Amino acid sequence: QGCNTMTSRTSSPLYHPTMTDPDMGVKMRNQRLLITVIPHAMTGNDVIEWLIQKYNITEEEARHLGGLLVQYGYIYPLRDPRSLLLRSDDSPYRFQTPYFWTSSRWPASELDYAIYLAKKNIRKQGELVDYEKENYSILHKRINHTWDFVVMQAREQLRASKQRRKADRIVLECQEQAYWLINKPCVNMPLYYHYTTTILLRYYYYTTIIHRRALGRNRVKSSICLESFMKYSEQYLHHDPIMSGCLPSNPWISDDTSHWTINTDMVGTPTRLRVERWSFSFMELLNDSMGRREFMIYLEKEFSAENLCFWVACEDLRHGESSKIILKVEEVYKNFLAPGAARWVNIDSKTMERTLEGIKRPHRFIMDDAQMHIYFLMKKDSYPRYLKSELYKNMLAKAIVPQETKKSVFPFMRRQRHSSPSPAMVTQATEDDGKAKGAGPTGTSSTTNSQI
Amino acid sequence: MDGVLLSKLKNLIKKTVESSSTADHGASGEECKTMLDALNKVTACYRHLVIALGSTSDSQNLREELKKTRKKAQELAVANRNKLTELLKDKTTSKDDRAEYERLWVLFTSSMELLEVDMKRSLEIGQEFPLKVPTRHLIQTGMTGSTTTVAARAMSVQNMKYDADSNIDTADLKELQTEITQVGQMMEEMEMKVQVAPWAVEAKQEAGAELKSTLSVGNSSVGVISICEEDARSCPGDENCCVCIPNGTDSPYSPLL
Repeated sequence: QGCNTMTSRTSSPLYHPTMTDPDMGVKMRNQRLLITVIPHAMTGNDVIEWLIQKYNITEEEARHLGGLLVQYGYIYPLRDPRSLLLRSDDSPYRFQTPYFWTSSRWPASELDYAIYLAKKNIRKQGELVDYEKENYSILHKRINHTWDFVVMQAREQLRASKQRRKADRIVLECQEQAYWLINKPCVNMPLYYHYTTTILLRYYYYTTIIHRRALGRNRVKSSICLESFMKYSEQYLHHDPIMSGCLPSNPWISDDTSHWTINTDMVGTPTRLRVERWSFSFMELLNDSMGRREFMIYLEKEFSAENLCFWVACEDLRHGESSKIILKVEEVYKNFLAPGAARWVNIDSKTMERTLEGIKRPHRFIMDDAQMHIYFLMKKDSYPRYLKSELYKNMLAKAIVPQETKKSVFPFMRRQRHSSPSPAMVTQATEDDGKAKGAGPTGTSSTTNSQI
Repeated sequence: MDGVLLSKLKNLIKKTVESSSTADHGASGEECKTMLDALNKVTACYRHLVIALGSTSDSQNLREELKKTRKKAQELAVANRNKLTELLKDKTTSKDDRAEYERLWVLFTSSMELLEVDMKRSLEIGQEFPLKVPTRHLIQTGMTGSTTTVAARAMSVQNMKYDADSNIDTADLKELQTEITQVGQMMEEMEMKVQVAPWAVEAKQEAGAELKSTLSVGNSSVGVISICEEDARSCPGDENCCVCIPNGTDSPYSPLL
């Protein structure tokens, strides 16, 4: 139980103040190194004794707990620094400074490690330990772009330490070394983790591809984006029923549905606004079924109607039923792509080659390249000519501009709202064929209401 | 003035302007390096001071040293950033000069990286170890000396002057928080404005370059190393005894008193 309270604290077990307290903490001794005396050293034994007393735990628990403190770097051994054990004898240990406590918030960085190795290199006149030499050369390659900084900073950090008195300098070196023994980043991959290596390599490979692709994407400056958005808004301002109202009147307000009826797909004479929109962009023209029909008429005059037919067939393939895909691809090929086809479309050779290859394994998007080619052909060539043609101009002249309905004389008078017959009722009425009409439960009153 | 003379005059002016601008760049480059060296020094000193936080070396003075050093670092950071941004935005620099300025830029951003982390850490540790409390709970790390000479080095002064209030350990933290945000913003801005690809920069120093310098690590440290080497002869297999503690000549470890 004592162990749990100690290690469950979020920041560190030494946040509990008494362990390092001069009066109530672990017994402190001096460490003498030749003529230098460094305070605040403790024996492993003392640490364990203190833990036993403080937390009222067994020696085994205390050893385990103390061992954790050493493993995680809150306490470090002064003799045998690489052996991260808490020995229950007079082996010397010392508390680590808060900056060097292991923390997931502050993971050790490769840059810091490189600086440390460079410092050690200077201090040891090049005599680094084997794995340190390896790590050094790996880091030198990996973060080469900032290596000058590594050297500069290493030198300056050493110069700063030189300012301290000798005892403190020694402690600093021990602290740093202890920290890096535990926290050095895994610069090298151990050989026997081959399986993990391959997984990691694959991960890196794909991440690199994704990032390369992202780098290569076209980016548009927001200033340009916003400009085109402004242009779009200006262009469509008069076509927006909310911003500019709609003629003859807004059906939701006036209950007059003429706005909808004069704008249906295949109405006799289109509205002027609608025909104007065909000139905004090619997609506007194609998306309007009447526009498409008109465009088809024009293309037939120019003997290039097969382009639009092909485009329509490709759209049908893309958005149609999966079960009919193979059939449709065959049809498209027969009608538009096969040599000598009735409505052969003029696609460049590369795209044609690719498409014909792809037809062997047909799927929904197999015609995309060809479709796009024809789309751009029409957009650049036929579409601008259509807009200048007599056909279009006549359409525009013929188009109607509905009159705005006069507002009622008493504008503030509220019209009585009445609901239209419920669709459920309509189906019932047709079911009750022959029975008395209008014999539904509630809605019948609506038909007898008069408009005010 | 006739046409020929006029055009000759124009060419002469153009050449003078060009040569003076390249001369300017030469001087600017040197100026930049000096400023970067200063920033580098202050960054190293600041880190040294933050390491002492929360330990028995911690004191009111240390907190004031941290504050002063930090402010100095920020001054230098802004100066460096302005200079470097100016140099990098200039389209007329030669390719070599540009490469050099990009290298300096990487040095600058690396320095700022360390500085930012250390500022955040000093906030965290400073909060965990308040000084103005009835009983201070500082970690007994064995470090007991003062850090005043380190701070003096950072500030480039002979002696540090201390004039802060006694509640600096808490009062300064709020400022520190604001400054951390500022530094973060500055770094983001920098990344946006200046397009330098850090991975494209090549270091001038080769591996092991630090060994070639005439830097003397200091008398006492050399003394430390020599003691270790003597030990190495007496206990050749055990590399551990030379690691950091300069041991007595006979026993592998020093007895505790």
